[in-house]
Amino acid sequence: MSSEAAHRIDLDPRTAPPFPEAAFPILRNTQLRSNVAHATDVIQAKRARLVAEKSDWQDLRRAAAAIKDDVLANLGRYLVEFESRCTAAGGHVHWATDGAEAQRIILDILRQENAAEVIKIKTMTSAEIHLNPALEAAGIHAVETDLAELILQLGDDEPSHIVAPALHVNRGQVREIFARRMSLADLSDDPQALTAAARTYLRRKFLSVDAAISGVNFMVAETGAVTIVESEGNGRMCLTLPRTLITLAGIEKIVPRFQDLEVMLQVLARSATGERMNPYSSLWTGVTPGDGPQNFHVVLLDNRRSSILARPVERQTLRCIRCGACQNTCPVYRQTGGHAYGSVYGGPIGAILTPQLMKMEHAQSLPYASSLCAACYEVCPVKINIPEVLIELRAQVVDQEREQTARAFDPMYSGMRIANSIFASAARFRWAQRTARLALRPFTHKDGWIHKLPGLGARWTMSRDLRGLPSQTFREWWASRPQEKP
Amino acid sequence: MNSPAQFRQLILDRIRGATAVRTAESNQRVQHTYIRHGSLEPKQRIDLMIERLREYDAEVVECAPEDLSSCIAHCLQSSGRHIFAAPSALPPGWLAPGVTWRIDTGLSYGEIEACDGVVTASFCGIADSGTIVLHHSAAEGRRVLTLLPDWHLCILRTSQVVQTLPEYFDRCAQPPSLATYISGPSATADIEMTRIKGVHGPRFLNVILVHDQPAPHSTTAANLNGALA
Repeated sequence: MSSEAAHRIDLDPRTAPPFPEAAFPILRNTQLRSNVAHATDVIQAKRARLVAEKSDWQDLRRAAAAIKDDVLANLGRYLVEFESRCTAAGGHVHWATDGAEAQRIILDILRQENAAEVIKIKTMTSAEIHLNPALEAAGIHAVETDLAELILQLGDDEPSHIVAPALHVNRGQVREIFARRMSLADLSDDPQALTAAARTYLRRKFLSVDAAISGVNFMVAETGAVTIVESEGNGRMCLTLPRTLITLAGIEKIVPRFQDLEVMLQVLARSATGERMNPYSSLWTGVTPGDGPQNFHVVLLDNRRSSILARPVERQTLRCIRCGACQNTCPVYRQTGGHAYGSVYGGPIGAILTPQLMKMEHAQSLPYASSLCAACYEVCPVKINIPEVLIELRAQVVDQEREQTARAFDPMYSGMRIANSIFASAARFRWAQRTARLALRPFTHKDGWIHKLPGLGARWTMSRDLRGLPSQTFREWWASRPQEKP
Repeated sequence: MNSPAQFRQLILDRIRGATAVRTAESNQRVQHTYIRHGSLEPKQRIDLMIERLREYDAEVVECAPEDLSSCIAHCLQSSGRHIFAAPSALPPGWLAPGVTWRIDTGLSYGEIEACDGVVTASFCGIADSGTIVLHHSAAEGRRVLTLLPDWHLCILRTSQVVQTLPEYFDRCAQPPSLATYISGPSATADIEMTRIKGVHGPRFLNVILVHDQPAPHSTTAANLNGALA
C-alpha cells in the first residue's frame, strides 16, 4: 500500500498542486488515458444519438436554463417555501453555512441514532465537504453503495467524473480491488461477475444498516418533495430501507414547481448517461407513515454558493445539474481525466466551480485548464456559458497576481510587458521581427518548423511545434514588389 | 456559538443580498415551446411503449381486460417462481391460484426479501422512454415491495399510457408525495461502460399491457370519411 499512498490523489483544492503540475504525470499514464478516452467516447456517442432524436432539444435547453435562472433570482423565497412544505410533511430542514457546519449537523443526527455505520448514495456534495473522513474520525463507517463509488472506496481512490466517478479504472483493476477487499481470490474480470460480487457484498448492508446519506438532484419548492435519479437501485435501497435518511443538498438544487421536472428529467438523463430516462428515479416528500424512513433530514448547504450568486457573470455556474456532459466532451478533460483538477468537480464545470467555491483563494490554475473551444457550452443542458465564466475568472486571477510583487520577475509577466512595448511602436515591431528571424534561424528545421527550443521556449516546443518565421515580412514583400506601370 | 436559527438567517440574508440586484426577467420566463403533447395515434403510442420496454429487456405481454386474470396466472406459472408478494389492495381477481401469495399488510423486510416476485398495478406508462410510473397507491404497494423481490410483474392499462413525459405531468391532478419512475430493470455501466442488468433492484421487469381502450378509428380514416360525407 505504500506505493499507492505515495501516489495518493489529493482532491482538496486547498492543498492540491496546480493543474499543469498534476496533469503532467497523468499524461504519461497511458492506461488511465485509454480508460478515460473509452468511457467518454461511449457516453458521448450515446448522448449524441439520443439528443439528435429530440427535435425540441434546443427548446428544452432554453426552458431548463430559464427554470434555473428563475430559481437563482428568487432563491431565498423558494428555499423557504421548500422548508415549510418539507417540514409540514414531517421532514427536518437544517441550514449549513459551510462544510464544517454540515458535517457537524450530520454527525449530531447520526449520534442521536447511535449509528456505527451509514450507507451512502453517490453524492458529490458530500465529497465536496469531505464528509467521509469526518465520519470515520467520529467512529462512523460510511459504506458507499454506488458501484463506482464502492470501487473507489475499496481501492482507496478518488472520484474522477461527476456521473461515472470510476471511469478511469478498468475491469482488471476492479477485479484486483474486489478480490483483495472482498477476499474473493477466484473472481473473474467479467463485469457481470464483478457486479454480482458488489450486489452480494452490499445486500446485507442495505438490510441491516439503519441510516443513509444521500445527495439530491432536485428539490421541489411547491411540494417539499426531493428527487434522486439513478441507475442501479442502490439509491432506492438507501431511500427506502433505513430508519433515518439524511439528504445533503446544495442550496441551488431546487426547482419551483413539480411540473418543472418534465423539463429537467428529460435533459438530465440524455446529457448524463445518454438514456431517454435513467432506470430509476425516486421522489418523496417528508415522511410517509409505513413507507420508507420515518426520520428524514435535509441539510441545505451554502458553502459559498451565495457568494457565487452575487456575481452577475458567474451566477450561471449555479444552474449546473451535474450531468457531466461538459467533462465527456472537453478536449482537456479527455486527456487528463478528473484527478488533475484537484477537486471532486473536474472538467469544465470544475474549472469554473472549484475556484469560486474556494473564494478564488485556491485552484487559480483551473480557469486556465481549457482551450476555450466552447464544446462544453454547446452540450450543457442548462446553457452555462462556461468559456465566458472562465474568461471572467482568468481576469480575476490576473488582478490578484498584479498585486503580488513577486510577479515583477515572473517570465510571463516580463514577456507581456516587453510585448506591450514592442506592439506600441512600429519601429520596435520591425526591429523585433528582424531580431526574432535571426535568432530563430538556427532552430528552424529544413521543413520550416521549429521542433525544439532551449530555455523557456522549450515549454512551448515540448508539446507542439512552432512554425518558423518566413524570410520576408508582408511589409518587406510589399515594399520590394515590382511596381506596375499605370 | 451560533444557533441553527442564526445560521438560517445568515444564509437567507446572504442570498437576499446576492439577489437584490434583479437580472433580466426575460431570461427567467419559461417558454413551453418544447413538445408537450405527442402526435402519435393510439396504436402507435402503445406500439412505441412496447418497443421501448423491450429495448430495456422487459418482458411485455398484451391481453384483453377479460383475460387479465388468466394472463397473470400464466405469467406467474411460466416464471418458475412460487412465492409472490402483493400490495394490500391488489384486485382479488389478480391473485392467481396455484402460487403462494404474501399480502402486504405489514410484511417485514425479511418476508418481502424471501418472495420470488411481486405483482402490482401502476399509475402511468410513458411511451417515449418506456417508463413505468408508480405513485405507490394501495394497489401499487409501498416502495420496498417493488424493490427487494428480484422479479416484478406490473399491470398497465393502455388508457394509462401517454406518449411524452409532459403528458404524464398533465395526468397528475395533484403532485404525488411518493413516486418511482422505472425505465427498465436495475442496471449499471460503471465498469468500462458495459451495461450490466440487475445490480440492486429487481433484475426482471414484466409488464402486462391490458387493452382497456377499444382501438378508435385512426384520425386519417375519420378525416377521409368526413371529406367523403
